[in-house]
Amino acid sequence: MIDKTIMIELSDKFPNAVSGVDVPSLNRAVARIDSSKVKEIMQFLLDKGFDHLSCLSGVDYPPDKMEVVYHITSYSGPLVITLKASIPRDDPKIDSLCDIYWNANWYERETYELFGIRFNDCPYLKVLLLPEDMEGEWPLRKDYAGYPNPT
Amino acid sequence: MTHESTQITSPPRPSEILLHLGPQHPLQPGPFLLDLKIEGETIREAELKIGYIHKGMEKVFEDRTYIQILPLSDRICYLASNSNNDVYCRGVEELLGIEPTDRAKYLRVLTNELCRIQSHLLGIGEYTTDVGFLTMFIYMVREREGVVSLLEAITGSRLNHNYARFGGVANDLPPGYKEMALKTLGELKKMIKSHDGMLSSDSIYLKRTKGVGVLTAKQAKELGVAGPPLRASGVEYDLRRVEPYLVYDELDFNVITQTDGDVFSRVKVRLLEILESIYIIEQVLDQMPSGKYKQDVMPYITRPKPGEVYSRTEDPRGEMGMYIISDGSDKPYRFRIRGPAFATAQALPPLLVGTYVADVAAIAASMDSCTSEVDR
Repeated sequence: MIDKTIMIELSDKFPNAVSGVDVPSLNRAVARIDSSKVKEIMQFLLDKGFDHLSCLSGVDYPPDKMEVVYHITSYSGPLVITLKASIPRDDPKIDSLCDIYWNANWYERETYELFGIRFNDCPYLKVLLLPEDMEGEWPLRKDYAGYPNPT
Repeated sequence: MTHESTQITSPPRPSEILLHLGPQHPLQPGPFLLDLKIEGETIREAELKIGYIHKGMEKVFEDRTYIQILPLSDRICYLASNSNNDVYCRGVEELLGIEPTDRAKYLRVLTNELCRIQSHLLGIGEYTTDVGFLTMFIYMVREREGVVSLLEAITGSRLNHNYARFGGVANDLPPGYKEMALKTLGELKKMIKSHDGMLSSDSIYLKRTKGVGVLTAKQAKELGVAGPPLRASGVEYDLRRVEPYLVYDELDFNVITQTDGDVFSRVKVRLLEILESIYIIEQVLDQMPSGKYKQDVMPYITRPKPGEVYSRTEDPRGEMGMYIISDGSDKPYRFRIRGPAFATAQALPPLLVGTYVADVAAIAASMDSCTSEVDR
């Protein structure tokens, strides 16, 4: 059964790690999660039938905060759960989801190269879309100035 | 499925060869590099390298006003420009708290389905050239011409349609459109049935596609694919049914599935989806209400309230999602595009491991990738 009651179960199971639960419509649910508990929460959701990682991305909130945003849904229902994990901007690190959702790999690589968020234990954390010499530029950060001109 | 199957982990041994397919190769719809480590004729490891036409669209979008993004959203994938317009507009409409008019909803469904037909036609055409079936490509391009003309009659352009607007669509149907559309689509329906017969009865084609590149339902879910490759494995997952948007819940249609999950099934799903789309368009043309095709006051200068939205659509290639964060200004704070082809491209290397070099073209092309959308 896949419906909004999952959010109640989620808050009950992780009372300290899940906060700000909001259900804006029938098909959407939003919550903030503790960045150190990401893997356990995702494993819990996977066991509950949320077997599809639809999207993974980063958001930059300068000067001190970054967010990793997960959109978890399932192959049998319309509910999309948006989970946001805050991480410090000066040391952006979070656990990789590759063990739980196979397709997290490319999303994590993309988020890494565009935001500089490191995913612990990601099996192959290298640039995906950008040229290799742009590693370390983090173009989607809000303070990115443009492609460097070495000459 | 392990992550080792998506990359080449070690240099080739003396009995192995490292083979580059690409970045420019006739089998590929755009520049991407498929590295294969082969031993004899069997693929041991495969790795896909993308990003050759990375346009930085997410960054570009964050630097434009909402209305300026509208024509750019076509360019994510030109074969799905109507779907991309529509999903973007629905996202912004949700942020603004407005709704398109009833007639506009039907018009958007009409263009979305026409868009799906022409995308599938070209996808099948490109694919059949890759398995050495050039006749079908010419047939498909001929059929597609009629469908593109139907889109052109509404939107005025042939590739980048830029048709949806916040709260409606750009313009109404031209006079006599229904007769024109029904005539073209009636002929297309006959031709698709004939092409289907041709593809299903050609013994060489069957040998090249049946049982090749098999993706079981469990694997497909694990790999995170959506759209025709997933439905070819027997999973009935179609966002038009799962999460009905616009007026899809008022329309009658079937979700096309096949059970085998091989190359043949993936192409068959697309062929049958064309017939289903024609059926939807016939209903749309019958049921279309009269009235306004756009709201009286179209919000051209949009400053949505702070908030966020994740809008999804069933693109010709699968699940297209757009995650928009608004901070109250006239530009999105964060614009994330979840392209369907990105997910399908990621699933390609594990599918290739263990197959023959001769089958790479068939398998890669049957995923119907769109490099423009993978790279964004």
